Amino acid sequence: MKYLTLILKNIRRNPLRTLLTAMGTMMLVCVVTLIWSVLSFLDRQTSEKSQNLKLIVTERWQLPSQMPLSYADILSKGAPREPNDLTIADRDSMTWQFFGGSTEEDPRNRSPDSILFAFALEPPKLATMMDELDELGGSVAAEFQRVVDKLAANRQGLVVGQSRLDLLKQKVGGRLTLFSLNYPGIKLDLEIVGTFPPGRYDLSAAIHRDYLSSAMDQYERETGRRHPMIDRTLNLVWLRVKDRQEMAQVAQQIESSPQFRNPQVKVETASSGIAAFLEAYRTLIWGMRWLLMPAIITVLAVIIANAISISVRERRTELAVLKVLGFRPNQLLCLVVMEALAIGVSAGLSSALATYLLINLGFGGVTFPIAFFSKFFIPWEAVVLGTIVGAGTALAGSVVPAWSARSVKVSEVFAKVA
Amino acid sequence: MPQANIVRVVNVHKYFRRGSERIDVLNGLSLEVAQADFLALMGPSGSGKTTLLNLIAGLDRPSEGQVIVGTDVISSMSETQLATWRTRNIGFIFQFYHLIPVLTAFENVELPLLLLPLNAAQRRQQVQTALQLVGLSDRMSHRPGQLSGGQQQRVGIARAIVTDPTLIVADEPTGDLDAKSAGEILDLLVELGTTLRKTIVMVTHDPRAAQRAHRVQHLDKGLLVDKPAMAYEHA
Repeated sequence: MKYLTLILKNIRRNPLRTLLTAMGTMMLVCVVTLIWSVLSFLDRQTSEKSQNLKLIVTERWQLPSQMPLSYADILSKGAPREPNDLTIADRDSMTWQFFGGSTEEDPRNRSPDSILFAFALEPPKLATMMDELDELGGSVAAEFQRVVDKLAANRQGLVVGQSRLDLLKQKVGGRLTLFSLNYPGIKLDLEIVGTFPPGRYDLSAAIHRDYLSSAMDQYERETGRRHPMIDRTLNLVWLRVKDRQEMAQVAQQIESSPQFRNPQVKVETASSGIAAFLEAYRTLIWGMRWLLMPAIITVLAVIIANAISISVRERRTELAVLKVLGFRPNQLLCLVVMEALAIGVSAGLSSALATYLLINLGFGGVTFPIAFFSKFFIPWEAVVLGTIVGAGTALAGSVVPAWSARSVKVSEVFAKVA
Repeated sequence: MPQANIVRVVNVHKYFRRGSERIDVLNGLSLEVAQADFLALMGPSGSGKTTLLNLIAGLDRPSEGQVIVGTDVISSMSETQLATWRTRNIGFIFQFYHLIPVLTAFENVELPLLLLPLNAAQRRQQVQTALQLVGLSDRMSHRPGQLSGGQQQRVGIARAIVTDPTLIVADEPTGDLDAKSAGEILDLLVELGTTLRKTIVMVTHDPRAAQRAHRVQHLDKGLLVDKPAMAYEHA
């Protein structure tokens, strides 16, 4: 505490330089925090759990997976054949059909803002099986349950994220017609019954599975031929099991079942499924993790080293005076390191905290579409990380100038002064 | 009454190397300074005055020979040991004051006390006493930039005496001051010697300053000489 005044006054000695150093640190800590948040989210999604596992059943040999809807019921139960086989409870399964459509019928008028991708599913599963939505609590959960109930009651209902709703220039209660991009000849007349809770699904949408099916039936009635997608409409089946033992048993039941010969299916954990999906982004993620982050941290350390070096060079005489007064070399080293740490820690903490508050509360997440994730949020751990990055880079950046301060030769300094 | 020697410089050599060339600054110099003595060191530029002062103050170590202050052989101490020793035993007064510009007069004087095991109240007491002795009780919260040259040097003197050191060394303490301020500073140094019985070693080019000391020693080419070969030019 005795040296605190000296450290603070030294920092305030050149306010502009301190401010610029702090701002540089804050900007780079902000970028590091954002990148780390995306990477840590992806890591969490691809790390294997040991309990309460979610499995994905998809077509074995083709991406994107396209299975007949007739698979849905059997797969949703886990394909039990023998009395001792495991049967998945209804609440623990969910089917996904991807529906992409535009509010513009004429392809020439379509823009990214007019396009909507929706999960066609059984409405109750929105609240029980969708990642993060199945963990909602309190008033948010109750509010979302009301939206789910509306979708269940209205086959032509549409639940959409608030950001997507804004892009569509629509409001809850409004109606729109979607002309399909991946189901040729299908158009859906939809009524917006509610929105997803703010967060991961801000740009997503969900429709009633039965409405898509009936639209394809309607197509057959009107054209006299089956819709070309009718046997390829089921994209994913989600199953929830208790542990790895159940996972192995269900996987064995499904993959050995003669009912899924054409096309064949495979079972994998959600995390490995997501990891496989993210394989296409492997180079990008690798670059972010091993090139961008280290590069930013290095630049940050160099900025701090530069600022502290200038400060030490300017204060060589003062440092020599402190030595004359009895300050030991290591005390001078500590003094310089503490000054750098004070700047690094305060800039790192304030930057990470501001990023956390601004991104999560101000912007409702950072838009970074990768795989089927559209938005990322800053976890609170990022505030700790930002502080550590600020402190670590300050420490690294101050080593050389602090050593130079420690090594100041009194007789040489005063010989020059005289 | 004979006084014990507080400083003993015994056959000290100091040389520096510039590439392969050896530059001898002190050539077997010996010197003794008694307690409460006020010694002025004079000599032409390059005669080794400041080097000798640095050796006595423990800022540098001799190439050969011994420097003893009190009972401590400081010529054989490590850099860290010397730093600790200086805190308690040496008060240094600079020609250009060298106060820390971002600190107030009080905080500048308090600096050496931060290295001693004193609490805030004890430090405050000692700083106030030191500033009172140099007549700057009313300038405690002023920064160096708000003080005149003479006042800054007074703060420098307060900083030098605040730890109650064994020895005060002054490197041309009046070299940057006008005649009036220089006179006041010399009065103050004489008073420190008289009232507090401080031992003072002062390097100066100014004969008027040297006259205020109890005795004057002349250096030339790294050795003490009886009389100066010529009048010194002010560096």
